Amino acid sequence: MTNTRGTDMAKKKDNLDCESDFKTHEHAEFFDKIIELIPARFYVPDETERKWFPGLSKAQKAKAKRKTNENLKKARRDRLDPDKSALTTLDLLKRKIEDEKRISLKQKLKKEKADLRRQRYEMKKAGIELPDDDSEEERDNNEQKDDKSVTYEELRLRLHRKIDELKGGRGGSDRPRSHEKRKKILPNKRKRDTVSEEKTVEDNKSADKGKGKLDVEEAAKDLTFGYVKIDDDEEHGKEKKKRRLSKAKELERAMKLEAAKKDPEKGDVIAKKHSWKAATSRAAGIKVHDDPKLLKQSIHKEKKRHEKNAEKWKERVEGQQKFKVEKQQKRSGNIADRIEQNKMRKIAKREKKLLRPGFEGRKEGFINEGGN
Amino acid sequence: MGRFKNNKKSRVIVKPISKKNQEDVSHVTGDKIPKSFVFSRMKLPGSVKQLQMDLRKLMLPYTALSLKEKKRNTLRDFLNVSGPMGVTHFLMLSKTASALNLRVARTPQGPTLTFKIHQYSLASDIAQSQLRPRCPPDLFKTPPLIVLSGFGSQELHLKLATIMFQNIFPSIDINTVKLSTCQRLVLLHYNKDTKLIDFRHYSIRLQPVGVSRRIRKFVQNHQVPDLRNLQDVSDFVTKAGYGSESEGDEEAATVTLSSDLGRVNKGATKSAVKLQEIGPRMTMQLVKVEEGLCTGGIIFSEYGKKENMKKKQDEDVDDEEEDSEEGEEEGSEEDGEDMDEDFED
Repeated sequence: MTNTRGTDMAKKKDNLDCESDFKTHEHAEFFDKIIELIPARFYVPDETERKWFPGLSKAQKAKAKRKTNENLKKARRDRLDPDKSALTTLDLLKRKIEDEKRISLKQKLKKEKADLRRQRYEMKKAGIELPDDDSEEERDNNEQKDDKSVTYEELRLRLHRKIDELKGGRGGSDRPRSHEKRKKILPNKRKRDTVSEEKTVEDNKSADKGKGKLDVEEAAKDLTFGYVKIDDDEEHGKEKKKRRLSKAKELERAMKLEAAKKDPEKGDVIAKKHSWKAATSRAAGIKVHDDPKLLKQSIHKEKKRHEKNAEKWKERVEGQQKFKVEKQQKRSGNIADRIEQNKMRKIAKREKKLLRPGFEGRKEGFINEGGN
Repeated sequence: MGRFKNNKKSRVIVKPISKKNQEDVSHVTGDKIPKSFVFSRMKLPGSVKQLQMDLRKLMLPYTALSLKEKKRNTLRDFLNVSGPMGVTHFLMLSKTASALNLRVARTPQGPTLTFKIHQYSLASDIAQSQLRPRCPPDLFKTPPLIVLSGFGSQELHLKLATIMFQNIFPSIDINTVKLSTCQRLVLLHYNKDTKLIDFRHYSIRLQPVGVSRRIRKFVQNHQVPDLRNLQDVSDFVTKAGYGSESEGDEEAATVTLSSDLGRVNKGATKSAVKLQEIGPRMTMQLVKVEEGLCTGGIIFSEYGKKENMKKKQDEDVDDEEEDSEEGEEEGSEEDGEDMDEDFED
């Protein structure tokens, strides 16, 4: 009876325990969920030191900005990475707790080790034999090793290793591959000379894989590329832009050059050198003025243009003068006219006064004027 | 105070006429952009006409794609037009009984290099011979890069040829260039023994390295893969597929990109550079260098003096005859010297 009662009580207690366990479990879950909602940097304070940005120099600020950008990018990537993005607040919290535990453990171990060592030292002094103490160190190392999760990089490396292994097993690197076979059908449909035909067939035959590699190495030593503009370098033509000679001086130079070419001794050499130099610089885009005929023509043209412009200017000035003179004349003419008109008006007014009715007329003088 | 009303009747609205003007000076480098004309002044047979069209496409975008030449046009006409339009190079094809010649000249009074084409293949032939010919839509929207190999810097005529070719295509500014503008490549290889220059034209393609073939094809082609026989997507992703067959062999052909290119190649990762041939393929030989534009003294010639005189008779008569006569006189002096050199060799 007591047993059953006991078991009943135990069961009830168990039940109660189960219930309370269940309830606590529920509460714990609820709290975990709430913690997960809080972002990690608020809940688990990050104790790294923050830089004081306003106090840095310009270069340092730029560097810091770049670093933050990189960090942002990295964080974005990690967020989407399945292995690395499992860091919710809860995990961080757990990690922190674990770290703390580990640190305290380590400290304890260190203390113990130090004690042991002291003991051993004293024992040595006393001359007592010691047991094997290598295994202890090993155990420590093993404890310290964390079990890292297998990262993406490691997977990739493994894959590559496997590929290489499989490739090595394939063998037969000298047999012609399918795409090389196809090449032989293509070439040289437009043959002109029979000689060149033979040559090209030979070329094809010699394009084996083994020889190809040597050719590649040799060819790589002697490569020239198109122009690439870098900031500090300037094209050789542009440097001389400031020193532009006047056409007269260039003409002199050209004549001198021509005279030098006609020189019996060194004329040929000079001519040849000059023509090559001129051709290279012309190909590079620099203008070379070496033909005296063309230079004379252009000087002549320039002179004519200058003359024409001078004439136009003269005409313009003349025209202006004429215009001015005309205007002034007209103006003075108008003024004179106005003065006359005013005078006329005054006279007319006076005349009008004398035209009153009953007026016999002005004094005209005596009839026999002039006679005494 | 009167109110000033905007009288719409009196205001003239000017609609801007959108003119497609090609820039003369590159915004980036500040240098003049070299432009070219590809033409011929005689009637060409069918395949050579196609070769001319291929060369025009090669020189895009800085060339006149639909240039029409009439019989009565002379070289002088082209010269006169090239001044205001800013055209710097002429590429002229001409066919005689003995040879097919390509003349590359620099316009105002530049040197002319005459190449004799021994063999050529058209772009359409090459495309037909390939299993997967490739022509992305913006392939001809940017100028090609140029690589010269085997020319060396010793011989003057070769040096002149390198400078000439380097100046036909615009230079690139590494600070502002975008990787997507480097789509084509022109390769010239000089063979010292046979003195022949190989001319090739490739399109550049970048492929990420280290990604399994299935994933790469899936990302590039957007084609839904066949998962019938697999239990799980992870099988598809992690199946030990071989990389490209030649991946391990071409370690040297991989580069680390500085920036992203397209969706697949990401910056700071390794990508393999793959070249696929497009465009004409030619084997040519430099036979003559003249000082002027198809005129002037001959400063280099592959053959001797007599051959040259003969060739001049065969060539077009439209060239300025006075100058060519002068050139012959001048050239004879220098040809003699060249001949001596050849004999010494």
